[in-house]
Formats: sequence, structure tokens, C-alpha cells
Amino acid sequence: MNKGKYYPLFVAIGIFLVLFIFGKFAQGMWEPVALIMFYVAVGEAFNVFLGFTGYVNFGYVVFMGLGSYGMALVVSSSSMAGLGPWILIPGFLFAAIMAGILAAGVGAIALRLRGAYFAIATIGVNQGVKFFIEGAKIWGGSEGIIISKPLKVALGPHLANAVTTFWADFLVFMIAILAAVITIVFLHTRLGYGLIALREDEDAARVMGVNTTKYKNIAFLVSSILAALVGATAWCLKTTYVFPDDVFALSYTVDAIVIVMMGGTGTLLGPVVGGLIYGILKYWLGILLPGFQLLILAPFIIIIIILFPEGIVGVLKKRVRGKKLEKFIA
Amino acid sequence: MSLLELKGVTKRFGGLVAVDHVDLVINEGERLGIVGTNGSGKTTLYNLISGVYTCDEGSILLEGLDITNMPAYKRAHLGLARSFQIPRPFGQITVRENVAIGALFGTLIGEIGEDEALEIGEYYLEKVGLYPKRNEIANALTPIEKKLMEVARALSMKPRLVLLDEAMAGMNPKDIDRIVEIINKIHEEEKISIVSMVEHIMRAVVNFAERVVVMNQGKKIADAPTQEALNDQKVIDVYLGRFALEEQNA
Repeated sequence: MNKGKYYPLFVAIGIFLVLFIFGKFAQGMWEPVALIMFYVAVGEAFNVFLGFTGYVNFGYVVFMGLGSYGMALVVSSSSMAGLGPWILIPGFLFAAIMAGILAAGVGAIALRLRGAYFAIATIGVNQGVKFFIEGAKIWGGSEGIIISKPLKVALGPHLANAVTTFWADFLVFMIAILAAVITIVFLHTRLGYGLIALREDEDAARVMGVNTTKYKNIAFLVSSILAALVGATAWCLKTTYVFPDDVFALSYTVDAIVIVMMGGTGTLLGPVVGGLIYGILKYWLGILLPGFQLLILAPFIIIIIILFPEGIVGVLKKRVRGKKLEKFIA
Repeated sequence: MSLLELKGVTKRFGGLVAVDHVDLVINEGERLGIVGTNGSGKTTLYNLISGVYTCDEGSILLEGLDITNMPAYKRAHLGLARSFQIPRPFGQITVRENVAIGALFGTLIGEIGEDEALEIGEYYLEKVGLYPKRNEIANALTPIEKKLMEVARALSMKPRLVLLDEAMAGMNPKDIDRIVEIINKIHEEEKISIVSMVEHIMRAVVNFAERVVVMNQGKKIADAPTQEALNDQKVIDVYLGRFALEEQNA
């Protein structure tokens, strides 16, 4: 086996490590680093589906939202309070299961549609789930779930505080690494080749032996579960509340699309670079020009996408082809 | 021994009968040419064999196994490979990766990993003369190179039967000779059945096919060894045209 294939993974983990150290030891930098890492993780999770299949899942945020609900439901259920910190394990598990069930159902139906029709169907799913929760008044309805109290009961006040200020963000780093590992495995196995083939030409891929339906559904499921894990930690554990208006906001899907397109679809380092740039810009513009950040960010993104239609890493990959650096970039 | 057998295969699009009760046997290791004018049902026939369409009537047997309703991807695993009339490369990835996808999903599916697939890919790129271009993005190839890449991609599936769809269309005589030579050489080395479909390039048919099937308006009107089929009165009437005959007689 050729070990060089996995070099890009080490590059990604190296970037995470630098970010982590910077955030941990530079005064007041942990929160911005956590924000950047959130965007990186969301981008990577989204890329597993968009990057490999070319399908745009506009309702992506529904899986992040359901993930945070999954965690909130477990933490706030009194029957699990005795687990202590271990409560987070069933929390993540339940988040993954909830997103997984929805993804399996939506995938089975919506993945029969192509292009814009698929995108529209997925927006419908997000809005449908949100209005169902609010309308049927389940899981707290439009008031959501507040877990600050049960979290303190389960973990003790000291640890609960550490979770919201540090461990929730730390787990985002872990999920980003998990997503990066999944991406590199996809890139070098039959599954990934099949997905890329169907992204490029679905009919030709089928005739060549790719079970396109199965492959699309696998990518959709994996990407959705990763989203749920991000939602469970970055939203539920960090903020200790889940409001339907916050966790089903479509703007997060737009963030994810921009990050992946800017960085380079279907590449490992694309969402990392995209998430870094997007997160840093959003943070600094928010400080320098509060209220105007989108006014500057939007044209900037348009320029980047026009200059680098294949994304920054996509262009970089082309430039280094045949050079020594090649094996570090994927 | 017959490898593929079509029995009374029919496909309708609304009121149009694109393929009309076609019986066809393709033998193991055979070089078969399918000729017919534009709209005679050749491509539909290919689509039925490879599973892009399903038959309205009739059945298709691969070595006695009924594959009439089998999805396209499973047929590929059993050894059916094809190229497309208009090349359909996986445009954004390299030529080598394109061909490796054939190896990963052909009859060797599940048996080989990425590294072996890439090796198989390089082997067939060498055969069709595209090895120097292996690291280029597929979209950057010329149309002829794309066709050759499709041939390599089909071969890397280690198929039993390759269906080539107008592999020589739009080429000059020199390129046609070259591609026929490549295909004949591959046929000799790989011992697979090759069916090639052409609209009107007799030069290719005569140099390639041992047997020719002539299609007209969805029906098979001739099925015989090459020279015999091309001299068939019916074929001359509907396909080559009476004028050709008169010219010959004059």
C-alpha cells in the first residue's frame, strides 16, 4: 500500500493542531477559533455529500438541528442523569440515530430527483420538520429545549461549565478529524470512485457497474450523521439550549455551500481552507464593521468563486500536478 | 457457443417502434458489426442490451441467464461493457482514474483495490496508446482520445462482451484504420466478443467484422457473414441504396 495517499490527511490534522494550540494559548482566541472550527467541520461534513455526488442538499441544516435535538432530549431526560459525563455518549448516539432515520427516509425518496428538484425537495424537508416541531408542540414546540439545568445535574456545575466553554468546541475538532478521515477513505476506495463517477455522469456510471442509488444514499447518510454530531456539540452542548428558529435556519446551509465551493468540492483540504477563510472573514468583519460584514463578504465570495471556479484547493491541485507537493494536496 | 441471446426484443416509444422483435445471437469471441442508417434502432438496441432501457417485449439471455429485467450496474458486473456514441468521460478526474473506475466496477468488482485498478487502467491505456496522457484531466482530451479512453475504460472492466457505439464516427480514414487495428489487436489478445456499431463507414465494417447485422426501421433485415450481408439484395435496396447497385452494374 502506498502511504503517500494519506499525506493530505496529516496536512489537515496539522492545520487543526495549529489552530487548537493558537486558540488554547493565545489570550481570548478560543472563541474565534471555535467559530472557525465550526465552519470547517460543517464544510467537511457537507462536502462528503456535495463534493462526492454533486447534489446540493439545501435542507442540510435539518440534520444539524435534529442532532442538537437528539443531544438535548437525552441530556434533559431524567432517567439518564445518573450516567454522569457518559451521558454524552447516548446523546451523540441518539443525535446520529435521529438524523440517520430522517436521512434514510429522505434519501430513499428525494435522491430519485436530480439537480434543482432535489435541492427544492430538501428545503421542503427542513421547513417541514421545523413547522412540525412547532405546530405539534413536541420537544417544547417553538420554545425549544433548555438543558443548562439538567446538564448541571448530570455533570455537576464545574464540569457542565467546562463542557460549554471548552469540551463542546474540542469535540468539534474531533468531528472535523473524523470527517477528514472519512473523506480520505472515500477518496481511495471503490465507494469514493463510484461516487465521483456518478457525480461526473450518473448514467455512464450506472452502465459501468456503479450502483448509483445505493452509493448516493450512503454518502447522504454519512454526511447527515456528521452534521448531526456537529449540531449536537456545537449548538446543543455549547449553548445549552435548542430553539427551532435557530437550529433550522437555512442560512447555515448557505454557509456550508459557500465554504465547500470556495475551498474546492470533493477535495479533502477544500472545506478546511474554505472554512478557515470564511470563519476568519466573518469573525473579523463582524468586529471591524459590525452590521456590514455580509455586504463585504458577499462580493468577496463572488470574486473568489469567479476567480477559482474549482475552489482554491481545486486550483492548487492543478498547479502542483507532477510536482513534489502533489501528494500533500487532495 | 452463444454468449448473448436476444429473443423477440421490442422497444416502443409511444407509437414509434424503435426496436421491433429482434432476434440476435452473439457468439463467444466474435467480432460482430451492426450497421444501419440513422434512426434504424441500433442505439436503442445497445441501450436495451446494456440495461439503460428495459424491453417492452422479449427477453435477453447472457450465457443462458435471463437478464431482461436486471439493472444496468449488475449487467456490468456480469461482463457487459459499452462505449457511448458521444463520449461520456468522467470529465473532472484524470484519464487514469477514469479507466480505473472501469476496473473497480467491472467483473472484478470487490476483488481488487485502488492500486490494482490503477495498474489495470494504465495497462489498457498503454494498449490504446493513451498512456502518455494518463495524468491529464479527461475533459482536456481531444474527441478521438476520448473515444479511445472509452474503449480502454470498457476493456478495463474485463468484460465478456464489449459494445462499441460509433467508435469510428467523425474520424478520417487514417484514424479509422488505426482504431480498427487497435480493436482487432485487443480482440486477438483478450479473446472477448466485440460488437461494433457503425452508421456508414464501410471501410471499418469490412476490416473489422466477421459477421454483419443490418438494421432498418427497428427490424433486423440481414444477419450473415460480412461480404454476404453487404451483397444482400435487401440490404442494397434499403441501406446502400439502389443507386449504388445501378452504378455498379453500369
